[in-house]
Amino acid sequence: MTVDGFRGYLREVEARDDLVRIDDPVSWNLEASALTMLANENDGPIPLFESADGARLVGDPYRGSQRRPWDRIALGMDIPPDASRREFYDETIRRLKDQRSPETVDRRDAPCKEVIETGEDVDLLDYPWPYIHAGDGGRYSNLHTLVAPDPDSAWIDYSYHRVMVHDSRTASVLLLAGEQTPNLFYYKYERRDEPMPVAIVVGADPAVQYSSVMWIPTGRSEAEFAGGLKGAPIDLVPCETNDLLVPADAEIVIEGEIRPDVRRDEGPFGDYFGYMHGPRRSMPALEVTAITRRTDPIIPFCVEGTGVGHTENSTSSMEIGCVGPDATLGLRAGGFDVDRCVPWQSTPRTVYVISTDATAPGELHELANFIFTTWGMLHVDFFVFVDGDVDPLDQRAVLEALALYADPDEDFHQFGVASMPKVPLNIYQTPDEKGNAQTGTSKAKTAKAYIDATRDRDDDAEAAAEAADEETRYWARTLLAGAGADPDGLPGIDPTEVEP
Amino acid sequence: MTTLSDHLDDLREHGDLLEIGDRVHWDTEAAVVATEALRHNCAALRFDETAGRVAYASGVYAGPDQISGRENRPWRRIAAGLGLGHDVGCVDLLDVLSRWETTPLSEAVLLDPAADRDAGDDLYALGLPGVDDAGRQGVTQGVIAVERDGTTTWAPVRGTVHRGSTLRVVVPGAVDEWFEGGRAASVSLGVEAATLVAALQGWTQDRTVPAVPERAAGLADVPLARVDGRVVPASAEVRIDGVADPTDAPVSGPEATWERATETATLSFEAEGIRLREDPTVPFVPLGAPLADDVHLMSLVEAATLYRRVNGYWGVSPVSWVQLPVESRLGLCLVSSEILYAGFDWQLANALFSFSDYFDKVLVLDEYARPTDLARALDDMWVKAHPGNDWVFSDPNAPAATAPVYRRDGETGSRLYISAIWDPRWDEDYIAPRVTFESSFPEGIRESALERWEALTASRAGDDGIEDLPPRYDDDAASRGDGA
Repeated sequence: MTVDGFRGYLREVEARDDLVRIDDPVSWNLEASALTMLANENDGPIPLFESADGARLVGDPYRGSQRRPWDRIALGMDIPPDASRREFYDETIRRLKDQRSPETVDRRDAPCKEVIETGEDVDLLDYPWPYIHAGDGGRYSNLHTLVAPDPDSAWIDYSYHRVMVHDSRTASVLLLAGEQTPNLFYYKYERRDEPMPVAIVVGADPAVQYSSVMWIPTGRSEAEFAGGLKGAPIDLVPCETNDLLVPADAEIVIEGEIRPDVRRDEGPFGDYFGYMHGPRRSMPALEVTAITRRTDPIIPFCVEGTGVGHTENSTSSMEIGCVGPDATLGLRAGGFDVDRCVPWQSTPRTVYVISTDATAPGELHELANFIFTTWGMLHVDFFVFVDGDVDPLDQRAVLEALALYADPDEDFHQFGVASMPKVPLNIYQTPDEKGNAQTGTSKAKTAKAYIDATRDRDDDAEAAAEAADEETRYWARTLLAGAGADPDGLPGIDPTEVEP
Repeated sequence: MTTLSDHLDDLREHGDLLEIGDRVHWDTEAAVVATEALRHNCAALRFDETAGRVAYASGVYAGPDQISGRENRPWRRIAAGLGLGHDVGCVDLLDVLSRWETTPLSEAVLLDPAADRDAGDDLYALGLPGVDDAGRQGVTQGVIAVERDGTTTWAPVRGTVHRGSTLRVVVPGAVDEWFEGGRAASVSLGVEAATLVAALQGWTQDRTVPAVPERAAGLADVPLARVDGRVVPASAEVRIDGVADPTDAPVSGPEATWERATETATLSFEAEGIRLREDPTVPFVPLGAPLADDVHLMSLVEAATLYRRVNGYWGVSPVSWVQLPVESRLGLCLVSSEILYAGFDWQLANALFSFSDYFDKVLVLDEYARPTDLARALDDMWVKAHPGNDWVFSDPNAPAATAPVYRRDGETGSRLYISAIWDPRWDEDYIAPRVTFESSFPEGIRESALERWEALTASRAGDDGIEDLPPRYDDDAASRGDGA
């Protein structure tokens, strides 16, 4: 069984009584995001705004529960949301290996073609793109998939770059050099003075959304990976004004092109690290050529910056539930002995935790070096390595390892104090240091670091002393569950088997 | 005053106590159950079915880790045990613990000991739970009372039962010196939080203060009793009277946290009489387990002392709060402070290193950081501190810290402080405002959203029991501000 697109996913959420419909009118102008922030911070149901200035909005639909931030990511892939952390990771990795070719469907069968707006009919302002935080530079679409082609091959990249609406037909797109789609634009299209055709897919199947935040290897079909995650082929349909194929069941598809050497203001924005970062900067301009959609579209959005520390919005849950398994698979494919690679739950795009039993000299350095020069180049500043028997999703255990095993003398390794690139989405650089570079990286370079919080051999005896065998520990947990402890918090305990 | 018995009732009323009805063996089985409960943020436990004369309890002064849940307050059981309620803020608790108030014995409440039932002198009959695989019954939470020249002191103890009447206990080394040889003494088990806190404050901090009963009485009106000329906690569940003598014999098993930064000595305690309350309960600590009571108690005692010292050292009190997170087992210190001038963060971090032996890592936060949001404080460590400029390592000649497991041989090394504050040289315009509900929405939008959300959740509450929203501010946030 698979989830039937974005709407099917919302139905699943609602069936679990985790969705609340808000029928009264709600404005896109801060009201929808304020209510969503309250829902996020209070572990409340997902808010579906039925009347948001003529359309529907849904706030942070992929936000997981505070205790299990991956549970709604799992639901979107029809993985049991009560799967353990390890089961969820293992199943997601298995699906990423089991890719499914997409299928192309007729336009008449594509829900995203129920309404087609081209030419003079195109008007971005007909839709309730939310103004999310007071102080944001504008209204945003920030939970979608950007589809863009490599001009030199058949490769199509799915990625995730927020879009700030400027007027009826223009928006700015946050493209930061170093990532795949921005590199295509800056170093191929723009150098050739050619526009980059794009499609912004809003409200696609969860598997498509998930694949867009993953670092799928260059040249590989993202639609096939999305099919793997879904467990069924993704249906694609041709665009109206360019040659791209887009997911047919999307809520809205914005077709257009990103123009060479044309920039528009972007930001500031209340971003994922919990601060309103600035300054306003120039980013590539999107010229919209068509909008196709369902008759009554639902627009998802993310209230970034909320729930910092507690994984309380869609993107932080997707980091935990999507990027983590993908990164784990990628590192294993690269030949590294990695148990799991997991974003630090409190700060998911800046810090990653890797559990590993690697012991060869230089192996951790090589691992960090590989990541910092590849997918971890721009956003990730820190890696924390812990032993294979430490659950990297257990922040308490990781903090304990950091405090007790990472020796300031030997285990903190900085990579070049002022030699590494950084996105300007940070708050520790001054506006002058960030600059306003054409390609979106900061003008000033910075440093990154990895922390070896694994035990030394001499520490092992002490660490082992506290651990009973797993069978005894499981027995203890059954005793606790029988006494009334919440079985959801006890690994390996099936709530349905607990005797009242 | 909240006796252990009162405290257990209070935890039960608040749904924070689980009764284990199955028979659990004293020899490590109870410790494994207690460890799993701590590891997974369960309620405190009471083991009703035991082989000996006492029931056990565990986690009574522990609590959930703060990082795993926005509403978790690790200190809540200790605060409740001190009679401060379940909702007291971290800063208010630090204020109380750092006052070091005392009540003269002449003004303290004197009662008859509650443990008035003669139970012979066979320690084995108690069936105290063991916490390691050495097969010995253990004492992991309690105090020893001893009198000298008319002054009684109480000190923390950890020990094991070696024969039916012999208890071997570790005490702070200064207590042994104060003893000046063998003396009559009492070991009290099942005592109030205030008694445990006062004993730690008296003997494990920068200076020893033997007048511990006076401090316990000053902290929470702990009732006192007199037994054979010495003062003992009147409400103890179990009291073992006997004679303590210094010994070179070791005590097996994992250390309590207080032993990590305190020189210790061993006493051989020969029991002469055991007194019990009716249906006595003895709390124990699975030492070495994460989030165990000894970690919580020492974390608060150490933090309160540091809070007092850094706010009393420079003629001003710039520090909002200090924490040694229980999640880090005291290997990390967080301090939130106004940064008085450029370089004050360095000064503050290094003062803390001087005042405590536990940690070699300090995270300096600005005064807007909330003590109730550890996850956010750590977020500041990762995103606000420049990874090249603000992670500052000392030269490698600093003494080894005692909480970490490395450099236990005393070899010197570096210390690390992380300055997650705004660079004082920055223009105001450079400083990024936090994204919060309060900063992200105008007042009218906030009020409207709160009303609508409350109405929505209330309408669902009848169906699925969704609770009302928690208050937007807690005491700490209200008194200290909630960020720019």
